[in-house]
Amino acid sequence: MNSYPPELLVQLAPVMFVAGLDLPPAPSTSAPSAPQSPSKTQSPPPTPIKTQDLFANLVARLRDALQSQRKVSIWAPERTKQFQMILVGKDVRFPPRKLVPPEDLAYATAHSPLSPLTPSSPLYPDGLIAPIWIRKHTALVPSVFVLFLRLFEAPAMHARSPLDTPDPEHERDKTEEERRRDNDLSAEVAARKKTTNERGIKLTVVLLATRRMLDDPSLDSRLTFIRRQSGLDSRAALFVLSPVSTSELNDFARSLQDALYETAVEYYTSHSKRVRRKRNRHSQSVSSYNPPPVVSMGIASARPLRPEGWTVRYEYKMACFAEFRGEDEVALKHYQDAYATLMIMFGSTAILPPRTKRWAEAKVLADAINVKITKLYLYNHEHSLALSHHNSHMRRFADFSRGWGIGEETFEYWSWMARQHRVLAELLEQGSNSSLTFPTNSPPSLAAGASPAATPVDLDAVRALGLNPSHALQHPGHYYYMAARCTEARRERFLANEKGMSQGTNAAPGYANEKKADHLTIILELYTKSYEVFKKYSSTTSQGRLTLWIAYRIAHTYYESEKFDVAIRFFERIAKTYRREKWKHMLRPLLSTWYACAQKLGDVELMATLLVEMIGYAQDVDESITLQEDLLAVLKSSVPVSARRPLVVDLKESDPLLDTMLVFWTPEVRVGEEAGFQLSLATPTNMDLSALPIDSVTITFSDGYYPVVLQHSPPTDDQVADTAVRLVKVGKLVPEDEDEEPEEICADLRWRPGERLVVSGSISSEAPGLLTVVSITVVIAQNGWTIEMPHEPCVSHEISTLVPRWLTSLQPTRFIQLGRNDCSSVVVRHRPHELAVSLSHQTPALLDEEYPIVIDITNVDERHLDVIVDVLLQPTEVDQAAQHIIFDDQRSSGLIKGIRLGTIAPGVSATKTLYLAGSGAPGDRTLDISIQSTAVQPGVTSKCDDDAEPRSSSSLSTHAAVDSCEKLQTIVIPTSRAMTITYDVAYRRSKNAMPALADLSTVEDDFWDDSYGGIAVVTAKIECSVPCGLAVESLKLHRQDNSLAKVLDCSSDKSSDDMFPDEYLPGDTFCNVSRISLSPREEQVLDNENIAGPGEYEVVWRRMLPAGGRGRQSITRFALPTLMIPQDELIALLDVPSFAKLHASTPIHLTIRNRHSSRSAHVSVTLDLDPSDAFVVAGLRNGRLPILLPGSEEKLSWKLIPIECGYVKIPRIKVMNVRRAALPSQGGAEVDAEGEAVKVIDVRADWNSTRVQSADDSAVAIPQQDGASTILVLP
Amino acid sequence: MAPLLRLNAVAFISPHNHPILIRTFEKGDELKYHYVAHTSLDVIEERTNGQTKSNDCYLGLLYAMDDIAAYGYITPLKMKIVLALPLTDSVVRDAEVIMTFRALHLAYYHASSNPFIRLHDTPAGVGSAKWKRFRRKVDEISRAVGGGSVPS
Repeated sequence: MNSYPPELLVQLAPVMFVAGLDLPPAPSTSAPSAPQSPSKTQSPPPTPIKTQDLFANLVARLRDALQSQRKVSIWAPERTKQFQMILVGKDVRFPPRKLVPPEDLAYATAHSPLSPLTPSSPLYPDGLIAPIWIRKHTALVPSVFVLFLRLFEAPAMHARSPLDTPDPEHERDKTEEERRRDNDLSAEVAARKKTTNERGIKLTVVLLATRRMLDDPSLDSRLTFIRRQSGLDSRAALFVLSPVSTSELNDFARSLQDALYETAVEYYTSHSKRVRRKRNRHSQSVSSYNPPPVVSMGIASARPLRPEGWTVRYEYKMACFAEFRGEDEVALKHYQDAYATLMIMFGSTAILPPRTKRWAEAKVLADAINVKITKLYLYNHEHSLALSHHNSHMRRFADFSRGWGIGEETFEYWSWMARQHRVLAELLEQGSNSSLTFPTNSPPSLAAGASPAATPVDLDAVRALGLNPSHALQHPGHYYYMAARCTEARRERFLANEKGMSQGTNAAPGYANEKKADHLTIILELYTKSYEVFKKYSSTTSQGRLTLWIAYRIAHTYYESEKFDVAIRFFERIAKTYRREKWKHMLRPLLSTWYACAQKLGDVELMATLLVEMIGYAQDVDESITLQEDLLAVLKSSVPVSARRPLVVDLKESDPLLDTMLVFWTPEVRVGEEAGFQLSLATPTNMDLSALPIDSVTITFSDGYYPVVLQHSPPTDDQVADTAVRLVKVGKLVPEDEDEEPEEICADLRWRPGERLVVSGSISSEAPGLLTVVSITVVIAQNGWTIEMPHEPCVSHEISTLVPRWLTSLQPTRFIQLGRNDCSSVVVRHRPHELAVSLSHQTPALLDEEYPIVIDITNVDERHLDVIVDVLLQPTEVDQAAQHIIFDDQRSSGLIKGIRLGTIAPGVSATKTLYLAGSGAPGDRTLDISIQSTAVQPGVTSKCDDDAEPRSSSSLSTHAAVDSCEKLQTIVIPTSRAMTITYDVAYRRSKNAMPALADLSTVEDDFWDDSYGGIAVVTAKIECSVPCGLAVESLKLHRQDNSLAKVLDCSSDKSSDDMFPDEYLPGDTFCNVSRISLSPREEQVLDNENIAGPGEYEVVWRRMLPAGGRGRQSITRFALPTLMIPQDELIALLDVPSFAKLHASTPIHLTIRNRHSSRSAHVSVTLDLDPSDAFVVAGLRNGRLPILLPGSEEKLSWKLIPIECGYVKIPRIKVMNVRRAALPSQGGAEVDAEGEAVKVIDVRADWNSTRVQSADDSAVAIPQQDGASTILVLP
Repeated sequence: MAPLLRLNAVAFISPHNHPILIRTFEKGDELKYHYVAHTSLDVIEERTNGQTKSNDCYLGLLYAMDDIAAYGYITPLKMKIVLALPLTDSVVRDAEVIMTFRALHLAYYHASSNPFIRLHDTPAGVGSAKWKRFRRKVDEISRAVGGGSVPS
């Protein structure tokens, strides 16, 4: 930007002249009488020093406040009614409007001193516009003139002597003095007013007065007087200011500007109007008679300004005035018009002959207008318009330049281009410091979320389609970069020109100037600026690749300007990233420039290092050979800096010299086993390393081995030398703790393109761990130099060649591919422990049994093993199943951990028995058994044995060092019942009579009334259901009598002795019968409840083992079944003796019970005596019983005398409940009054039985068939 | 009808920022496009690491420098494609660029759908000189997009 006149670029703002604020030359003396400035010739009378100071202070602060209002800058987009304040002396004079005085007759036809029409003007005769014109309006002529003056104040009277009464004479004197002073002041103002009025400049007077004066009642009248006398406007022309604080002064400055801004705008508008009038007149005149060139063609300089030139001039002026007014859009329009016309002028060499002074001026003007237009677009956030204008400006002038003979081949062209880019960059940089932001240029979908409201809608619509990349605004770094690139091109052309000159061609125009320019410094400056801006705008996470690219250019420039050491520092940094990201193509030129730097500096070590790296990056055979020759030359011609220390060239991140590939045959070996490996060192086909004096290759393995050293020896046998693949066998690797160091192995260490050296050997370890090659160091030795180049075990120029291959045959050369991914290391593991584990048990397990599982572990290994067993009982999914395990005195329903079997010596076995106890329900039980073994030394106390782990495994992780093993076994054990039980229950009605109502015994504690419940006879049938057979040792009924039921007696009470123990095979059953007396309560009868069985059977048994032994004693318990309460209503029980004697009287009894809860019964009994009956009966034949109330019973008795022998039927007894039948009989007399038959039950055969499969099954009652009873009659 | 796109160069860059293939269609200035591709990574990272996460592959104009406009595209597997277009004074329609990117992506996809390539540990991958088909395909796309004879 410095290459353009600042006047043409700055943002214009209304100009305000401020006069009367001169600082007193020596404020400290404060001599009141001394005239300080022309304005103070009529100095006020001596005032107290304090007041004087106050005003000096005020003036100083006012100066500061006003001057700080606006800074002159190029980028100032905000429009806040600000003036450009210029402090001037009171007696400032404006430049003359015309050269002739107004009184002169020629005044009307004369022109401004700056007009091209004025012969003394610098623009005469055909200049367009000069910076001086803008300077006139920004520095010499204001739009508003503000004059600061002191208002006279008579010294305060009371201050001198407060006791004085107001002296009328003094008062009069004072008024007169004031009047006189005010008159003088008005005259001064009027004089100034005259000069400002001439130019239409607004004059505003600010009177400085003390605060006391503000309150003075005479102030108003005095002000009115002054205004009238001096002819000031009525509006915003007179202010009074008293000494106030700085912030209030700022407010004052603000309000002053606000008040005067309108006037200033008017001022510039009137200028605009004047210029427009002139332009219109001019264009009319042109169109009307189009004057031919007035001056003869002979003198080019005498040719007056062309009409186009006038248009440019007027448009430019109008644009400037609009800019003064802050009307950016109007300004833009006029600038564009001016620019367009200027382009027309440039289009014709007749109008603007190239390489003239006017042409150069016009070019500057065009560039400046371009900057203004671009800036105005940017103010309005119209980025693409701004850039499009700027680009088209450059393109147009590029086209023009070709016409002018300064095309791309000239440095002038590039100099100009660089300047354009730079101006834009600087403009953007200034803008970015205040209000300008740069768009991200992301596609709409990305940007949508970011700022939907930022851009106007129509812009979005255009954006949606796409983007003109050259119109995308970027941060200034890009443009600085472009400027630097152009300057580079400029330098190139300049050097070419210089070269041409030396060969005799003519110097290009402007060569002398160009020679003065320090191109490299400019380029550096531009790149550095660009670098800084890029850095500023790059995000924190960025890798800085863009900046690296610029840094590369900077380094290059340093190289060009022969600052090699600086360049080297840059290269070091840049190469790091390029190496890491494997951008070889970019690295190559960088390395060669770097190498050139090192060459210039004579840094042989760096040269060697770089050459080695460059050989790695060589693209073809020739290049690699050339580089090797260079390296050899370097090595031969110099001595190393430090002879002892080898030069290490670390090629870790860059391309290696040799492609290395380490392959282990197997991924895993056991301790002590040999692991075969092949390490191939190869050159790619585009490299030839045969000239490289490789002395040795050292292959370093993981800790604990001597490195393999291959020493170069030239091939003696031609046959071997010819093959592309050479094999070197190194045998088994020697551990370090062996005293004997291995010999160096000779091999041919020269590689021609595509050659491969395969080093084959084996390695074994006595400790588990990971074995691999740590590094492969290629050593070059020459002329005292030792260069070490460490290589990784698996690196390659082309990663795709890193396929693990194993050389199987040399002739013909044959490789096989190993199917593994990672072949570059081998894992050494301990041999697994040889433990024979057997789990013996006899399925199925039985419920309630402690089922033994014998774990038998035999050590068939050679090591002593310490064995620990963990057992986990998996939760079962079977309902109601319960289970636990017992192992070594530990009981658990889940996990038992850490059962030690101790150290088992080789060949020894250890046995443990685990017991599983399941109960509840049958089903599968699952056990996980984990057997962990750890190898131990046989004598734990002895430190180290001969053969076991001779080397301490310090390099290996402790985890791997512990030689331990785990075996997991899961067994599923089906569990079934040992025996099943079936219950048969029969209910017998009680023969006992119901207790009488008032029977006192019923309230006794031990009263047992089974008259209702009767007796249940439970027959339990137990069946052995396991295939192995059981030895039942005892069966017992454990009584659990309660108030509802009690066991009367049980068959096992007596006969258990001879029955048990006994062996039962599958299907064998045994029974047990028990009688249970029931005594239900009334409420249970009503609710039809069941009674829990009052006891349980306990069966003690053992499993019969196949070998003939018996298992552990187990106990199975079966609860008695649930019992029902018989539900009867009206029932007749016939009690007949078992037998009768012929002709002897036998009594039979019939008991009729009414068990109904509420209803009484009306019962009639009939004994049908058939003639064929074998009895003679004594007793009731037919009769009606008394009404049976609920819960009562009636007993009838007969005597039978049998008259026949044998089983004879007893006479039929019919019991009828007539009560029900009687009810319908009320309706009709002939109704049969027999009623409903009541069941007559022979109590001898009262088997109301149920069958219960198991305790919890619900009982189903099977009523017995009602049949005729018989009796055995004996003779 | 908008002018057809002319491609100066295409760069395929691996998720680890290693170059896969840089194909230049301008003679004699291959190195420059390496730099363009490499520097584009900065802008691509900036765009993809930004606050507004987007699933869009197309990253739009990355930057314009010298006479090149660099456009970026990132595949869901973070492979990057950079297009270098000549900087002409005309609107580059996003739709066309996206179409080109898709075609290039597809070409890569087809080339890499090859059981003999180990994609993840080969920075060069399909870009290496062995895989001629991929190059041919890229060249074809360039020709087709650039308004040359459309291959039938």
